[in-house]
Amino acid sequence: MRIIVCAKHVADSTEIRFDEQTNQVLLEGAPTKISDYDRNALEAAVQLREQNEGVSVEVLMVGGSEAQKALKEAIAMGADKGYLIEGGWDRFYDPFLAARVLTRAIEDIGPVDLVLVGLYSEDGYNGLAGAALAELLDTPFLAPVTSLALAEDTLEAELSLPGVRVTASSPFPCVAGIDSTANVPRLPTVLQVMKVKSSRIQTLSLQDLGLTQTVQQKANGVRLDEYASGAVKRKAVVIEGDPESAAGRLVGELVQEGVLQ
Amino acid sequence: MTGSILVGGIGDADLLQAASVAAGIAEAGGASLRAVTISEQGTGSAAVVDGMVDVALVFEAGAEGLVSGAALADGLELAARELSPNLVILGDHPACREAAARLALRLSAGCVSMCERIQPAGEDGFRVERAAYGGVANAIFTVPGRAVCVLAATASAEGAGEAQGRATEVQVRALTGGARSIRKLSEEAVPPSVDLAGARVVVSVGRGFVKAEDIRLAEDLRSLLDAELGCSRPIAEDFKWLPQERLVGLTGTSVSSDLYLALGISGQVQHLAGIKGARVVAAVNIDPKSPIVRNADYTVIGDLYKVVPALAAALEARRNGG
Repeated sequence: MRIIVCAKHVADSTEIRFDEQTNQVLLEGAPTKISDYDRNALEAAVQLREQNEGVSVEVLMVGGSEAQKALKEAIAMGADKGYLIEGGWDRFYDPFLAARVLTRAIEDIGPVDLVLVGLYSEDGYNGLAGAALAELLDTPFLAPVTSLALAEDTLEAELSLPGVRVTASSPFPCVAGIDSTANVPRLPTVLQVMKVKSSRIQTLSLQDLGLTQTVQQKANGVRLDEYASGAVKRKAVVIEGDPESAAGRLVGELVQEGVLQ
Repeated sequence: MTGSILVGGIGDADLLQAASVAAGIAEAGGASLRAVTISEQGTGSAAVVDGMVDVALVFEAGAEGLVSGAALADGLELAARELSPNLVILGDHPACREAAARLALRLSAGCVSMCERIQPAGEDGFRVERAAYGGVANAIFTVPGRAVCVLAATASAEGAGEAQGRATEVQVRALTGGARSIRKLSEEAVPPSVDLAGARVVVSVGRGFVKAEDIRLAEDLRSLLDAELGCSRPIAEDFKWLPQERLVGLTGTSVSSDLYLALGISGQVQHLAGIKGARVVAAVNIDPKSPIVRNADYTVIGDLYKVVPALAAALEARRNGG
């Protein structure tokens, strides 16, 4: 049973800022990491490996040399091996490009039984890449997965759909999108990450994969025009003082606002 | 807008949402509207779009049809090849996201998910707006030519968006071809026990609370305000002091309350994404530098362990005519 986890290397979303003066999103200097939801996918893969015989887990990540650390962390979580596809684009709104690159890499690495992805990426939050991958690989797609198990010839998964919990099965190969509530990802220690030898990472170049042209084109046919502030203008009134008078003042303001019945 | 819009959904809520938004876009211009949905058998969710669309196509796909977006993708593809729509709008549902991804690839169409607003842009195609980077900013896109759009949970119709008196023809068809390889093994209805999205007042707790038991402090406030209880991500996902259903934020629920009271919540971007729709935001926080301060209308700077009981007392006094 060969499992591949596609993990995205992203800028830490809690460190990204928006400059209201210039309408620019400021990514410079934001530390990078494994996208949170992909940690759930990695954890799910490693748990399957621990609970079953003959399961291997490999991690696929796109990025430059700065992604090495994140990939080592992913391997330290319990993967056998990692692949780094040299990246070089940052179009968060183009999950189809990501899917095309990942598909080509999986075909190159293949054959694979199960591909796990996080349901969303922390930066793009499109929720489309996993399904696009399934379409390009011509496999079924199971999502949002909250738990999964290997049966005879199938993957059995619990899906958390709106208003209903369903268990479903899919033959292999298939792609599964792992929900953030599926598990609590283990945190490898700094030492465990450092101990991951570089030899456990194989670099795949865009050229070797025949993807240099693909990456130039817009796979999604969508053009980003501009950013605008997403913030709602609030009054930002600060109330200080001892708890009783501050509380009284707040109640007074809320009465004025007409929100108290 | 002229031309035609294809609307898709797998259940009542997402189908209605998509149809409402489409109706708003079609309003002036007379675009034709067609809906696609999936049923196990029979007319499925077609009834919710009665009067809103010209044709409602229901593809019968057996039990498996509702469990993934594969059948919906097939149905939409069939309908798209018949109708050649300019625009495909799908509602907020995981199956719709899967269907959109598959459909966009098959039709070589541009695709945007989590759409808040969709506007026709004449020859340029469509202008689509959605949150970016977890809500730090809004991003505005142009999709030239045919667009496949999946709506964000908070997207709703601009303008009327209600039944426009179209004579809706319902067509039920079997979905043939394409092996349905996913099998449904069991199903359990999970009725929502919490209605955060519809609550008039929400009292929300965050990491300012030190222990799980301390959340009880907020209970008096909650009941005095007749509020629903919400929380921030650490409370629901890291500590699991409250169920996921109570999570307010990007990966949880968005509120549209008159009042949102954030207790001990610092105001991370993902949380703020969920409170944009609140009319008034009030907060209690010990740190005047916390992001919640500039993202709230009123913030009491202080120890919530003292301020929350004081607030409850003030509200109680007011209720008793003080």
